[in-house]
Amino acid sequence: MWASIAWRLFWRELKRGELWVIAFALFLAVFSVVSLSGITQTVRVALEQRSAQFIAADRVLGSSQPFNPEIIRLAQQQTLQVAQQMQFDSMLFSAQQMQLATIKAVDTAYPLRGELVLHQSDNVLSGELGSLTPGQIWVEPRLLGLLEVSIGDDIELGSSRLQVAGVIVNEPDAPLSVFGGSPRVIMHIADVAATGIVQPGSRISYRYLFAGGNAELDRFATEVTPLMSVHERWRNRDRQTAVGGALERAERFLLLAGLLGIVLAACAAAVAASRYSQRHAQAVAIIKALGATTAQVRRIYSSHLMLVVLFSLGLGLLLGQVTLLGVESAIVLYVGDFRPEFSLRPIWLGSLTCILCALLFAARPLWQLTITPAIQVLKQPVQQLAFDRWQFITGAVAVFGLMWLFSGEWLISIGLFLVCGVFVGALLGIAALMVKAAKPVAAGQSSAGKLALANLRRRLWANSFQLITFSLALFLALLLYFVRAELIGQWQQQIPEGAPNHFLVNVSEAQRSQLADFAKAHQLQSEPFYPVVRGRLVQVNQEQMRDEATKEDRTEQRTGVGRELNLTWLSTLPTANKILSGNWFSTESRGEVSVEQELAERLGLKLDDQVQFSIGGQMVSAKISSIRQVDWNSLQPNFYMILSPDLLKDFPASYITAFYIEPDRYQLVNQLARLMPTVTVLSVEAIIKQVQDIIAQVTVALSFILLIIILASALVLVAQVQATLEQREQELAILRTLGARYAFLRNALILEFTFLGALAGLFATVLAEVLLLTLQQRLFELPFSFHYALWWMGPLSGALLVSALGWWQLRRLLQVPGAVLIRRVLQG
Amino acid sequence: MRMTKLPEIHIKAVNLAKRVNVSEGSLTILHDISLTINQGETVAIVGASGSGKSTLLSLLAGLDVPSAGEVFLTGQPLHSLSEDDRAGIRAAHVGFVFQSFLLLPSLTAIENITLPAELAGDKQARQRALTLLKQVGLQDRADFYPAQLSGGEQQRVAIARAFITQPAILFADEPSANLDATTGQRIEDLLFELNQQQGTTLVLVTHNAELAARCQRQLKMQAGRFVDTEEPAHVG
Ligand SMILES: Nc1ncnc2c1ncn2[C@@H]1O[C@H](COP(=O)(O)OP(=O)(O)OP(=O)(O)O)[C@@H](O)[C@H]1O
Ligand SMILES: [Mg+2]
Repeated sequence: MWASIAWRLFWRELKRGELWVIAFALFLAVFSVVSLSGITQTVRVALEQRSAQFIAADRVLGSSQPFNPEIIRLAQQQTLQVAQQMQFDSMLFSAQQMQLATIKAVDTAYPLRGELVLHQSDNVLSGELGSLTPGQIWVEPRLLGLLEVSIGDDIELGSSRLQVAGVIVNEPDAPLSVFGGSPRVIMHIADVAATGIVQPGSRISYRYLFAGGNAELDRFATEVTPLMSVHERWRNRDRQTAVGGALERAERFLLLAGLLGIVLAACAAAVAASRYSQRHAQAVAIIKALGATTAQVRRIYSSHLMLVVLFSLGLGLLLGQVTLLGVESAIVLYVGDFRPEFSLRPIWLGSLTCILCALLFAARPLWQLTITPAIQVLKQPVQQLAFDRWQFITGAVAVFGLMWLFSGEWLISIGLFLVCGVFVGALLGIAALMVKAAKPVAAGQSSAGKLALANLRRRLWANSFQLITFSLALFLALLLYFVRAELIGQWQQQIPEGAPNHFLVNVSEAQRSQLADFAKAHQLQSEPFYPVVRGRLVQVNQEQMRDEATKEDRTEQRTGVGRELNLTWLSTLPTANKILSGNWFSTESRGEVSVEQELAERLGLKLDDQVQFSIGGQMVSAKISSIRQVDWNSLQPNFYMILSPDLLKDFPASYITAFYIEPDRYQLVNQLARLMPTVTVLSVEAIIKQVQDIIAQVTVALSFILLIIILASALVLVAQVQATLEQREQELAILRTLGARYAFLRNALILEFTFLGALAGLFATVLAEVLLLTLQQRLFELPFSFHYALWWMGPLSGALLVSALGWWQLRRLLQVPGAVLIRRVLQG
Repeated sequence: MRMTKLPEIHIKAVNLAKRVNVSEGSLTILHDISLTINQGETVAIVGASGSGKSTLLSLLAGLDVPSAGEVFLTGQPLHSLSEDDRAGIRAAHVGFVFQSFLLLPSLTAIENITLPAELAGDKQARQRALTLLKQVGLQDRADFYPAQLSGGEQQRVAIARAFITQPAILFADEPSANLDATTGQRIEDLLFELNQQQGTTLVLVTHNAELAARCQRQLKMQAGRFVDTEEPAHVG
């Protein structure tokens, strides 16, 4: 029977608003968590899948030892796809020439991810597609020029002869190094044995490529670990880690920012729930006086909360999934090759958030409600809007729990929690001061302004909590608005429109002017030429370098530091570089060198150390005058060692430069390759596009969060205004009875909310500015500058938003004829 | 037939006291109240405003517990029962008509009336509620909300609600105080009518001498005490 009572009460209560506020708040929480965590998850999956193409597999195990059949058996047991690959440097001989090349021997399963494109011609733009067969060899186009061979000719590798079948157009897992390296060659793995190159001690790198489901891959990884020797190790998708890391940070940032919206929404739910409870205290007392037990009452009211939770959870999950599907299909449209992966994480995270919010924010007031004693029927209902202590404590616990759930880190959670606590404390203090400072309104004079101020003062006293939530809501909205603008600005700065997308490496002195002409003829924006001289670091402070320190295998993957270093000389500091200690070269600098920080650390180099390079047999000595930090993600040529211009000027150098070539003019790349066969052209288009995609996606996510925060803020305002609705109703009834006119009451109301909003906006502005300035210095490393727009936007948006919402909520009340209002108030 | 048996004691209070905490300390609002009320009896509690009538009623009905003394309702020691056990006794034996009606604003007249029966798990509640509604003359107001009813109509709904569970005891706190004379009269008639039909014990609080006179017994209160204990007063 209680169920039908519960249902009837619930149904009627829907008209009153509080349940809707709770429902909407919970919905907002579920929806934002599901869609935010889903979106970041999807973006990450898309990114992972794309980066899988860069290693031609999902996972790669590298080894310096020949293939272990046991490892392959284990992989096949897990139904993984497997490919084998060997790579080594060797000399190629044609009838006329010889050339060192990097040879990659693969089986027909290669590549497991991405696409290998081979053309049976000497042209990367046209030609029949070819496929890998034993006895054939596929080469990088410039090798044809270097070896003076054409398609169909034989070349010698070790003790075999292989036929040049065509050129490599796309090799998914080719290393991306702006310094190029030897020309690349692909052959079938079956031909390797016949070359006789594989000898004990020869430097050959073996790679196992695996692809398959995540679960299978993980299972395989744990099974294979005991089999792995010191020679085997997983090869990370190192080129992607920077972007991947950024995305992980982005997810955390997004979730935490979204969390603040959720906390706001939860506050709204708490306000609404406590209001709901207060309004129902009398009803509970009556029901109990009529003989209901506490347990019955509890069933009735917990069923209300449960219905609201179910409704919000269902709708939130549903709309969240719909949003997610939308995002996924957008990615499919945008990126093409994308296999969405279903994940339960957004669903359980969203459900958990919803239940946590409901339990810790809304359950407490409802619990309080159900212990209302029957004797309460004989007492006047007490109006009190302040939070009780337990509500405050459970709320704080909930906020902390959510922070931990979203960040997964104690330190971040505690830090953020403390910051929030300090903010609330500061706001409380300011509010208390303001209330104290406000002068009582002179009696006897009646103007809308006076009434508004009087109302405000009374309510501020009664409930500065309202001001705090308004301020917090506005603060979050403002903060996110500006952080979003700053983040986007910074990202876009990193890869501006028209950033160079093709690098030309190995340009000779003679080719420089040729290239300049080429650029002019095709109206290409040409970047500066960076001179490169190869040299070896041989001495530090008279101490002989240990050979090992600059060994290729230590650092090869990231930057292409070889046994020889790429040295350059520059008079101006490149943009992606930052001096950490010492000073950049002045015009008088002689015999100085600037060293990249990581390398300096690894080699134990300090400022003022004297280092010696061997360049083409000559010794060059330089003093370390600065240590630099380099942003390796900058898509600019970056150098470990930059020497002062006086040292290297007279050495023969090759040059690196870059162009931006529009996608519809890519045939220029081919022309260029033909014109200067010895120049290597590297496209970083794929990486640029990837980063731009992420920026676009994160931007959308940020805007989404901004929207959620604004909605949550509005919800808090609505809940707060609703909470004072009955009190206002009474006041209005009295004022109307005393003869106040409609226009007067309306003006007073609007003024009250405008003033409240502006005040909250001002608090929010001050807080936001403080935090923005901190972020600016700490996170964005930007020069100190005030956000002038904030100072008018904050108070203005506060005034507008709060007055509009207050008006929207209360206008019906004002329009009720005085008599009706009085009757309603008197009859309760 | 009832007369042949010794009347059964329905309500018994022994040395009841009620103290409340106020800012200046503790205030005693009921002193040393003892009474017994038999089954089917009609008793009026009269006295000045603030003399403690409502407080006494709330103790007798088990809405509240005394600070000292004992109350028995149909033999059950209310003073030593928990809130929920007292609620159970109210559900089974007690009907209540409050000074200020106390209808649930979000339920219609008929739903308000059925509420106690539904809480007690009665399936026939609606049928009986309709009968009662007719008895109080509001059959065409069944689906009105309290806000749409006049004060007298609300009070009649409250009375119908009090009788839906066919309680053995009915407490009425100034049932006609908020009403005009004629309506008040009708309400009172209704109470006595139902008392007669169902043999209900009726305990009512009133300022109205006429109403008090209709009861078999009157108890007069002053500053938290009975003035002429257990003496029927005759007001002319
Ligand atoms: N919780 C309380 N705290 C303090 N004083 C109380 C409390 N409850 C009742 N009183 C006081 O006890 C006295 C008796 O109250 P009660 O409501 O029983 O009076 P009453 O006889 O019903 O009056 P009325 O005829 O006006 O309804 C009053 O003076 C009242 O102020
Ligand atoms: Mg009273």
